[in-house]
Amino acid sequence: MDDLDALLSSAPEQIVGAASLEALDNVEAELLGRRSLITEQRRGLGRLELEVRPAAGARLNEAATRLQGLLTARRVVLERLEEDRLLAEDRVDVTVPRRRVAIGTSHLITQTIDEISDIFTAIGYQIADGPEAETAWHNFDALNTPWWHPSRLESDTMYLDYGDPEDEILLRTQTSTVQARTMESQPPPVYVIAPGRCYRTDTFDATHSPVFHQFEGLAVAEGITFGDLKGTLSYFAREYFGPERTIRLIPHFFPFTEPSAEMHVSCFVCDGSGCRVCSQSGWLELLGCGMVDPNVFEAVGYDPAAVTGFAFGGGIERVAMVRHGIEDIRHLWDNDHRVNEQFV
Amino acid sequence: MRVSLRWLREFIDIPLTNPDEIEQVLAGLGHEVDAIEILGIPFTGVEVAQVASIRPHPDADKIRLVTVQRGAGTQEVVCGAWNFDEGDIVTLATVGAVLPGGFEIGARDIRGVVSEGMICSERELGLGDQHDGILVLQGDFEIGRDFAEYLELPDVVFDLSITPNRPDAMSMLGIARDVAAKLNLECREPTIELVEFDPPTALEVEIRDPEGCPRFVGREVRGVVSGPSPMWLQARLRAAGVRPISNLVDTTNYVMFELGHPTHVFDLDQVAGERLIVHRAVAGDTLQTLDGVERKLDPEDIVISDENGIVSLAGIMGGGPTEVSESTTRVLVEAAHWYPPAILYSSKRHALRSEASARFERGVDPNLSARAAARVAQLLVDNAGGEAARRVVDVYPTPVEPWTVEFPVGELVRILGIEVDGPTATDFLTRLGMTVTGSDPLMVTVPTARPDLTRPVDLVEEVARLHGYDNIPESLPHGTGGGLTHSQRRTRLLRSVLTGAGFTEANTLGFIGVADLDALGLPADDPRRATVRVKNPLSEAEETLRSTLLPGLIKAAARNGSYGFRDVALFEIGRVFRKTPSNIDDRIPHQPAHLAALVTGAVDGSLSSDRDGAEVFDLTALLTALGERLGLGKLSIRQAPVPGLHPGRSATIINDDFVIGTIGELHPAAVRQFDLTGRVAVMEIELDPLVAEPAWWRFTAPSVYPPEKFDLAFEMEAAVPASQLVGSVRGALREGLESVTLFDEFDLGGGRKSLAVTVVVRAADHTMTDEEAQGLRRTIIDHVQADLNVKLRGGE
Repeated sequence: MDDLDALLSSAPEQIVGAASLEALDNVEAELLGRRSLITEQRRGLGRLELEVRPAAGARLNEAATRLQGLLTARRVVLERLEEDRLLAEDRVDVTVPRRRVAIGTSHLITQTIDEISDIFTAIGYQIADGPEAETAWHNFDALNTPWWHPSRLESDTMYLDYGDPEDEILLRTQTSTVQARTMESQPPPVYVIAPGRCYRTDTFDATHSPVFHQFEGLAVAEGITFGDLKGTLSYFAREYFGPERTIRLIPHFFPFTEPSAEMHVSCFVCDGSGCRVCSQSGWLELLGCGMVDPNVFEAVGYDPAAVTGFAFGGGIERVAMVRHGIEDIRHLWDNDHRVNEQFV
Repeated sequence: MRVSLRWLREFIDIPLTNPDEIEQVLAGLGHEVDAIEILGIPFTGVEVAQVASIRPHPDADKIRLVTVQRGAGTQEVVCGAWNFDEGDIVTLATVGAVLPGGFEIGARDIRGVVSEGMICSERELGLGDQHDGILVLQGDFEIGRDFAEYLELPDVVFDLSITPNRPDAMSMLGIARDVAAKLNLECREPTIELVEFDPPTALEVEIRDPEGCPRFVGREVRGVVSGPSPMWLQARLRAAGVRPISNLVDTTNYVMFELGHPTHVFDLDQVAGERLIVHRAVAGDTLQTLDGVERKLDPEDIVISDENGIVSLAGIMGGGPTEVSESTTRVLVEAAHWYPPAILYSSKRHALRSEASARFERGVDPNLSARAAARVAQLLVDNAGGEAARRVVDVYPTPVEPWTVEFPVGELVRILGIEVDGPTATDFLTRLGMTVTGSDPLMVTVPTARPDLTRPVDLVEEVARLHGYDNIPESLPHGTGGGLTHSQRRTRLLRSVLTGAGFTEANTLGFIGVADLDALGLPADDPRRATVRVKNPLSEAEETLRSTLLPGLIKAAARNGSYGFRDVALFEIGRVFRKTPSNIDDRIPHQPAHLAALVTGAVDGSLSSDRDGAEVFDLTALLTALGERLGLGKLSIRQAPVPGLHPGRSATIINDDFVIGTIGELHPAAVRQFDLTGRVAVMEIELDPLVAEPAWWRFTAPSVYPPEKFDLAFEMEAAVPASQLVGSVRGALREGLESVTLFDEFDLGGGRKSLAVTVVVRAADHTMTDEEAQGLRRTIIDHVQADLNVKLRGGE
C-alpha cells in the first residue's frame, strides 16, 4: 500500500466526519488542494518514466474523481442540514394575522337584484330600468287603477312638488311603472325584469319600510298564456329557493292583471310540512302576478287582441329576508357594519 | 271576513269536515285564509234553570238564597246578583262544572249556607263582557237542558282576506255561493216571509244627490221591544267577530254578514217630520255621531237629514239622537246603496272604518237593498216582536240591470293555455249565477252582484277559478334576447372594484332635509340646494329627495361610529334628483345615478398602507383604480376648493373635459356637524360616464428589449400640482416613454418644493443605447422647463 492507497482508505471517514460546510471546505483543501498529496504527485508525473506515466496519471485522476464524488455527496447533505437549520430559525406562527386584505361587500339588496337578474337573463329576459320620480299616469292610470283608488291617497303615496300641477308627479309605489315605460318605448315581444326602488308613506316596522325594492317581470308576445306564467314562476322558485321547490297560484286581485294570482312557494325550511317560518302553512307568500289586463295594453298602445302577456312583481327584501332568515327589514337600511359584513 | 262553518252549512251541505281541506277550497277560489280558529265550548256542566223562589240570606244583606228549578228537582244556591226575579230563566253551573279559566264549581259554604252550584253571568261563561248581573235568558229555553247546546258550538271560523273586487264575497251567502259553484253543490238562499200591516208607513224619502245615493229603501217596523237577541243569532255574531248588543242592532249586523248589505235602523219616533232627505253636507255642518263624537262634515260627505237637520253620516255612522235605545218601539230600517268612492273618502276622513264602510266602499249590489231591508224587518218581527208596516219606500230612479258579455270561447285557450270547451265554460259560469246562452260566442248575463265581471277576460278568470289554477299545466317560454347591457355589466364591474378595494355598499333611504345641506356647508347658490320637495314627507328632516348621496353616506358612517365602528369605508350607488326635466320624459325631474364613497378612521389592507387614518389619497387611489379597471383613460382630478369640502384637500373629477364629480376630505365643520371625528374622505361621481361603453381598446405588443431608467428632480412653486409635472413629462416624448412615476415630494421652504420622478424609456425595436437614453432625458428636461416654471435640481 502506497501513500495514495492510504489516502483513499482514510479519506471517506474524514469526509463524512466533516460536520459543517466550513469543515468540509478544509477537508477538500487537504485532499485536493494545492498542497494535497494528489496535487503533489501530479506535479511529479513529469519525472516518471514515459511508459509508466499514463498509468500513474490515470490512477491519480481516478482517485481525484472518487474523492470529489464523496465530497459533493457530503456537501449536499450538509447544505440540506444548513437549510433546515435556517428554516427552523425562520419559523413564524402563521396563525397570527399580520396582514389584512380588506374586501367589502355589496349590499344584500344588490346581490339579490343581481341574482334575480341572472336567473331571468338566462332565459332570454333583459333588465329594464325606469325613473323613481314618476308621473301618476305611469304609476296608476296606465295600470288600470281607478281615480278614486285609496292607494292614490297621500296616506299611501308620496307626491312631489315638481313641474306642472296637471301632471301629478310622485315617487313610484311599485316597479310596475316599468311595464308602461317599456311597452311605450318598444313593440312586442317584450321580456323584461325591472328591479328597483319603490316608495310608500309607510312608517318603519319589522316588515315595512317607506323605501323598498321590487322586481317586476313582464312577458308580452303572441301566445303567452297563464301556463307560461306558472312555468316561469316555478322556474324562478327553483332557481332562487332550490330545485325541490314547488309553487301554487291562488286567485287574487290586482287592477293591472286579469286573471290575477298570488304566488306561494313551498316552504324551503320544512319542505311543506309546516314550521315557524311559514306560519305552519307549508307555503310562503311570495309575489303577486297575473295576465296583463287588456286595459293596460290599450293604455300603452298595444293591441290586446293580438298579444297576451303576464306580469309579476315581488319584493326584493321579502325574498332575501325569507331566504336568509332576516326578521326585521330595518336591518337592511341601518348599514350596521355587523349586518353588512354578513352579506357574503 | 270571518266565516263560521256552522253558519255556512245553513246554505250548503259542504261534504268536507277537515278545516285544511276547506281552506284549500276557499284559497282556490281566491279567498285566502289568514287564520283558522277552532271555537270550542268554553265550559262544561252548565244547564238551563228557572228561578223558583228567592229569599234573603240569614247572615248577609248583599246576597240572597235562590231556589232554582232544574231538569230534575230543585236546588238552592247563593247568589249576589239582583237583576232577576222569580220565574226568570238563568244558567246554572252545577257542582263539577268547569268554567272558562279552569274554574271548577264545588259545593261552597257561603256564610253558613252551602251553595251547590252558581248562577252565571255572561262573562263567567266566557260569552261576553257583561258582569253587571247574572245572565237572564229570554226566549225559548228548555229547563234542565245543557246550556252549551244553545251556543252553536263547537265551530270552525275561517278568517278570510276578501279581495277588493269581490263585494259579493263579503257575506256568508256570497262565500256559500262560491263554494257551491266550485264543489257543484246546491245553495239554499234564505227565504223571507213578511206579513205587512196597515196603516202604511207615512215615511217619505227624497234623494237630492242621486250620484251619492242611487237607491234608498226604507221600511217601518212598529211595536218592537228592545232586548237580547236569540242565542243562535248571538252565537253567529260572536263567530263573525261582533259583540251582540240588542236585538235591534244585532239584526242589522246579522243581515250584513248574511247578505253582504249593511243596513241601519233609526228610532223613527226621534226622526222629525217622517221625512228624510239625502244630500251632501255643507261646509260648516256638524253631526254628533252615535259614538258621542261631534264631527265637522265635509262637502263631500253624504248625509241624511230630517226636518230638524242632519241625522246620519250616510253609510258610515248614525247620529246620536235617532239611535235606537231600550225604549225604542218604532224603527226605520234603511237599506241604501251609496257611491263607493264617497264612502271610502268619508270613512278615511273621519277615521271611521267599519264592517259597513268596508262593504259600501267595495260596492254593494244595488238590487239587494229591498231584500236586505225585508230581511231585517222579518228578523225584527221574529226576534223583537215587531210588526212590519205596509208600503216600502224605495227610491231607485235609475235601476241597474244585469248586463250581457259576449264571450268567445277561444279566449280561454288564448289566455289560459288550456282547452276548455263551450259546454264546460257554460256549466262553470251558470254555477256562478250567470245566465248563459249561445255556443260561441257565449252570451253571458252577469248578476248585478258581480260588478267585477264586465269583459271576456273577467269571465276567463271565473272559468279558471272553477277549473282550478292548480290544474293548469306549466310551460316555460324563453325571451328573445337575454343578457345585461354593457353599462349594466360595467356597473357590476365597478361594484366589484369597489368591494375589492375594501369598500362596503350602503343602502340609505334617499331623503334629506335642509339641515343636511346646511351641515355640509353648501352655499346658497350650490346646485345641490335646488331640491325636489316631497309634498307629504315622512318627517321634516326628510322633506326633499336627495340631491347628493353624501348626507346619507355620512350619516351611515356616523351611525356605525355610534355602534363602536369608527373605521368605515362605504359606497353607495343610487339616484339623485334634480329640479331640471328628465331627458326621457320632460314631465318628471332629472334623476341621474351617482356613485359616492366615504372612508374614515384607520384604513388597512389593500385600502392604504397608511395606518394613521384615512385621507383624500385613499379615494384618489380608489378613483385611479376605477379608471384603470374601467378603461377610462381620460379620468383625472383637478385640485380646487369644493363647497362642503376641505379647501386645501379637495378636487373636481374630470372625464373627457367634463366635470363629473368631486373628491376630497369633508370640511372639519361638516365633520363636527355630522358627529364624526378626524378626517373623512368623500367622493361623489355621476355614474353614467363611468359605465358608458368606452371605445374598444387596442393592443400594444410589449417590447422585448431592455428598458433604460433615470430619475429627474425638479424645483418649483409649492402650488404647482404634481399631476401637472407628471403630465408635462408624459407630453415630452412622442415615443419610447414607458412610465413616469412620482417617487418623492420634498418641501424646500420659502414656498417652494421639489418633486422627483422615475422615468422608464424603452425602444420597441432595438436595445436603447446610453446615448439615446441621455438624448431622451435631455428632451424631457428641456420640454418640462419650457412648459412649466420649474428648474431641474442637482445639475444636468
